[in-house]
Amino acid sequence: MRLFWEIISRSFQRHLTYRTATITGLITNLFFGLLRASVLLALLGHSSNVGGWNAQDMVTYVALTQAIMMVVSIFGWSDLMNTVYRGEIAAELLRPTHLYTFWFAQDLGRSLTALVTRGISIMLVCWLVFNIKLPHSLEHWLLVLTSLALAMTLSFAFRFTVNLAAFWSPDARGMARFAFIILGFASGFLMPLRFFPDWLQQILALTPFPHMMNSTIEIYIGSSDTRTLELLGLQFFWAIGLTVLAQLILSRAMRRLVILGG
Amino acid sequence: MHLYRLLLLAQLRSALQYRVSFVLEVFSTSLITVLEFAAFALVFSKFGGLGGWSLAEVMFLYGMVEFAFGLTDMVFDGFDSPTFSAHIRKGTLDQFMLRPANLMIQIFGSSLSFRRIGRLILGIGIFGYAVLQNPQVWQLEKILYLPLVVLGMEFYFGALFLIGATITIFTVDSTDAMNLFTYGGKDMMSYPMNVYADWLRTIFTFLFPAALLNYYPALFFLGKPDPFGFPALMPFLAPVAGCVMFFLALQFWKFGLRHYQSAGT
Repeated sequence: MRLFWEIISRSFQRHLTYRTATITGLITNLFFGLLRASVLLALLGHSSNVGGWNAQDMVTYVALTQAIMMVVSIFGWSDLMNTVYRGEIAAELLRPTHLYTFWFAQDLGRSLTALVTRGISIMLVCWLVFNIKLPHSLEHWLLVLTSLALAMTLSFAFRFTVNLAAFWSPDARGMARFAFIILGFASGFLMPLRFFPDWLQQILALTPFPHMMNSTIEIYIGSSDTRTLELLGLQFFWAIGLTVLAQLILSRAMRRLVILGG
Repeated sequence: MHLYRLLLLAQLRSALQYRVSFVLEVFSTSLITVLEFAAFALVFSKFGGLGGWSLAEVMFLYGMVEFAFGLTDMVFDGFDSPTFSAHIRKGTLDQFMLRPANLMIQIFGSSLSFRRIGRLILGIGIFGYAVLQNPQVWQLEKILYLPLVVLGMEFYFGALFLIGATITIFTVDSTDAMNLFTYGGKDMMSYPMNVYADWLRTIFTFLFPAALLNYYPALFFLGKPDPFGFPALMPFLAPVAGCVMFFLALQFWKFGLRHYQSAGT
């Protein structure tokens, strides 16, 4: 456990060193957020409320998605498959920590950096300039943070599983790109899922994707207060489920992995 | 031109070496285009309009920009700042300069992302469908003017890529900041300009003439009135604006090359 925290804190410090990248990233992030918010507000037009959300909710949605997109790595992650293709996986496996635990700790460190640098600054700027919603109580804050932690855990399990494809196929990069595009759409990053047609919402509800972002947004905006516990429960269920699945596939991958000495 | 063709054929051969990979990449780039637009189109019915534009009208604008940008993105890949900064860092730019052939043609030929053909095809698909949905576009003078607008956008986006590459000459490392104007600019131009705040629209009308290339021509094609009351000439400035941007970018590029210092690799 101590080692787990050490890896997290080292990874956190490592990612914190890229300051210029953080600042340009922040500006780009705000610019894209501005475009997305403009489109959503124009869609809303003169109506005071569509599908239960008003203008403030729309802007809050955009700010929140822009703030947490790097926290839950909405654009994907391919570090693990790169170690497979470069052969570094052999050395990785010599480590005294379990492969999943090691990468999970690394990823949590990266997520925390994203949360502290981009996440908080974006929310702060948006709160000052655009008057976005903030959680209404300490309890609400805790629910949001719990949901975000579950979204991170779930998203990691999904990304890790996708990366495992590299043990079977030389074309895993293409497959991963495909999977991460679906993630962006089905997690509610491109548009809030509540505005999709009902049939599509019902299909997506059967997948883990909404719980990697959309559920956290719903809990934050709080327009479905009664569903908060249900959403947290589902997030928890999917996080456990996909983590177990990742372990099963990982152990099969280990059995077929052949490393030639050199 | 002969050299460019040879270089492109070599690029195509290398892209086709890993066939499964190539097909997957083409498929995934088209999927991005489809899902990005689908997400917008799917929520549209819940709202019913975007700043006075119907879905078919937005689709026309969106498809036109996607198509024009898709083409530029493919052809100008050599100048895209990640690709171009790699030329500087690895010293391939030095090699290009030493060869007795045109520098720009060599850079154009150094990389052409065939995998982005998916985006281009889908862009054409969206645009084609939108043209069918908007009968007011079917007029001879509009059809004749359309290629000029697309060409103007090619020059406009091409100029942005060229500026990005030139900045890389000075910074050596690739700069994400330029993505704001290329990819961000494309995203912005995909929607009617009246949805944006005044200051943003002013910047992208007068400083970067983006609105002249997408919004005003689209108003003309779709027969919509100009909510800002600018002169009736505005829709016809697209080819000129594109050429002027490209000319300025070319001067900046030449200036950059004169100050190029090899990275020493």
